[in-house]
Amino acid sequence: MTLLDIVLIVIGEIMIGIGALADLIAAIGMNRFPNFYLRLHAATIGTIWGAFLPLVGAAFVAAGCKCLGEYRWFMAGGALITAFIILILGPAGSHALARGTHRSGIVPVEPKVVDHLEEDESMPTSQETREIGEEEGGSP
Amino acid sequence: MTGMTEIQMFILAILPIYVAAFILYTFRALRGPSISDMVLAIDAMSYDLAAFLVILAIYFKQPILIPVAIALALWIYSLDIYVSKYLEGKELGE
Repeated sequence: MTLLDIVLIVIGEIMIGIGALADLIAAIGMNRFPNFYLRLHAATIGTIWGAFLPLVGAAFVAAGCKCLGEYRWFMAGGALITAFIILILGPAGSHALARGTHRSGIVPVEPKVVDHLEEDESMPTSQETREIGEEEGGSP
Repeated sequence: MTGMTEIQMFILAILPIYVAAFILYTFRALRGPSISDMVLAIDAMSYDLAAFLVILAIYFKQPILIPVAIALALWIYSLDIYVSKYLEGKELGE
């Protein structure tokens, strides 16, 4: 076991440990936040810090550990690909879910200070405003 | 090689934290007030489950668990997209 392998294993174990702690923090926040739109914050912590980081750490551990046999590069590459997929698709899925939820209005935004998106959706768009103006102007 | 390596001992010490997080996610997934809360909890839990599967693959030295994690991540993204399209189509009712 060379020095590079030991460094890779230690860095990977640190990343897996940070990921486990972030996972627990995200799970607690998922239970403690009062609102769906606040729980998105906890879900993002659980996705990026709780899944992406330990996957990269697991790739480092698999690359540095000769005890895994000849398939260790397969495991390291697969872990990196899974980390990349989660890095791209996790925020995209959360954003799509939040957009669908806010547009359908099944979850009320409360406690609320200000909601600019709701005001923008309730206001008519510029094309609708122009059509209304033409109708009012056309009728004597 | 007799006994466990250091990596296996480290992973064995980390495992209870992950299991506790999964139990807490399951609480929110079961009693979420709306569909979105349930889907969000299952979403976060499954991404963490993919990472957990890769860590278990290192623990058991089984490379066959890696493609399972990739497929799980892709299916959970499809769950998000299906549910959000269904919510935006105004067909859910109350």
